[in-house]
Amino acid sequence: MQPATPYTTWPPTTATSAGGYTSLESQLSDSSKSAENDGMTSSTSQVTRLVSENAVIAFGRRGCCMCHVVKQLLLGLGVNPTIFFVDEEDEGAIIDELSKIAGVLEGDGNGKVQFPAVFVGGKLFGGLERVVATHITGELVPMLREARALWL
Amino acid sequence: MHSTTTQYVASRRMGLYEPMHPIGMWGDFKGNGCPNASASTILQVETNLDNQSEDTSHGTLGTPSKYDQEASKPVDKVLRRLAQNREAARKSRLRKKAYVQQLENSRLRLVQLEQELDRARQQGLYAAGGLDISQLTCSGALNSGSAAFEVEYGRWVEEQNRQVNELRNALHSHMSEEELRLLVDGGINHYFDLFRMKETAAKADVFYLMSGMWKTCVERLFLWIGGFRPSDLLKILSQHIQPLSDEQVLNVYHLTHACQQAEDALSQGMDKLHQFLAESVCRAQLREVNYPQMEAAIENLEALERFVKQADHLRQATLQQMSGILTIRQSARGLLAMGEYFERLRTLSSLWTKRNSEPA
Repeated sequence: MQPATPYTTWPPTTATSAGGYTSLESQLSDSSKSAENDGMTSSTSQVTRLVSENAVIAFGRRGCCMCHVVKQLLLGLGVNPTIFFVDEEDEGAIIDELSKIAGVLEGDGNGKVQFPAVFVGGKLFGGLERVVATHITGELVPMLREARALWL
Repeated sequence: MHSTTTQYVASRRMGLYEPMHPIGMWGDFKGNGCPNASASTILQVETNLDNQSEDTSHGTLGTPSKYDQEASKPVDKVLRRLAQNREAARKSRLRKKAYVQQLENSRLRLVQLEQELDRARQQGLYAAGGLDISQLTCSGALNSGSAAFEVEYGRWVEEQNRQVNELRNALHSHMSEEELRLLVDGGINHYFDLFRMKETAAKADVFYLMSGMWKTCVERLFLWIGGFRPSDLLKILSQHIQPLSDEQVLNVYHLTHACQQAEDALSQGMDKLHQFLAESVCRAQLREVNYPQMEAAIENLEALERFVKQADHLRQATLQQMSGILTIRQSARGLLAMGEYFERLRTLSSLWTKRNSEPA
């Protein structure tokens, strides 16, 4: 049985730390979270920065249980994943932004990034299915190490 | 000068009383008598017309021309007959429509019954193999998608049993590796077939799939997100694939570990889903259940389909990885072990059911 993980929001950090996880609110009103933010930047331009600054970051809808699965799996591996919860109104814009980063063609309905979306080392890694598949084959951990998400 | 209100028309000459069809009414009959081209019947608009002279009242007949005085008599009959025909035709069309509707419903019902019969027949074949009797009565297959899946699954189990027998014979007969490889690949693909079937069934009715009512009762005991636990699978396999090389031991260990982690993550996701669902149902005001308030809850329910898909994907990935680690012969032994294990669960189910249904 795992102890319940408290849903506290920590000031976002880029360094990996033992235990806990960092979660960012897409609404930037809270100044305690502005370590990375200038406070006035929009959430979409933030996205690009987050992807490049975090070894592992997952984007998902609030209250999405799939996102929770990704988080738990990565935590279990010793990774400290940053989770970015996307608000419904920002969803479209953020998906477009992520698709651009991922190099996915815009306007292509099938190619667009879907939630939960995991980025490793600044590049789009995939969804839950890919995370599980690569973990089973044993490819995931080496990839995470390469992206400096794991230190062992 | 025509109005289209319905009025009762009395024909003093004919002594008829009938409802006026909205064809035309004479408002003005003062001898001007605009010719009424359409069917005109004998009109009497107001009772004070009674005081009119015969001639004038004839003038109200709608056709001013004198020669129609005689013709108006049969015309009147004709018009009445035509009206009655129209009415009869309309009623007949309505009856026909109702009849066709009834036929359609009966047809659908017939298809449903045929499917049920098919299913019951299939299940009758496995009386010894162990399909739960309770499945015959309340499988919970509420829609045709689930019913179709049950039928398909019945066939799948049949094929599974056949393959297991084939594997058993093959291993005892010391078949060549190439031939054995065919059987192994077939066996693994058979499981993949099941996962595909389940994906379709999940779209039709995810709750039916997750209820496990399509499985036997003992199998249902071990249910995890609509199927068997991947970690259970590995436990079964590991007992029958000895001896393993050192490298294999390491690989199997890593696979077991990774599989357990993924399984735990999915379990926790499901717990979270329960939590979210409970919360959103609590928040919704149930006095008037409306869609917007239940939307959050509905989204959670829709997530179930994805969970089943991910769980099946984990099962498939685990099987695939295992088959990559093992030799052909080891894989064959593993598949046989798995097949026999599930077969025994089904047999146990049927034994239990028989035991329960027997008089004390």
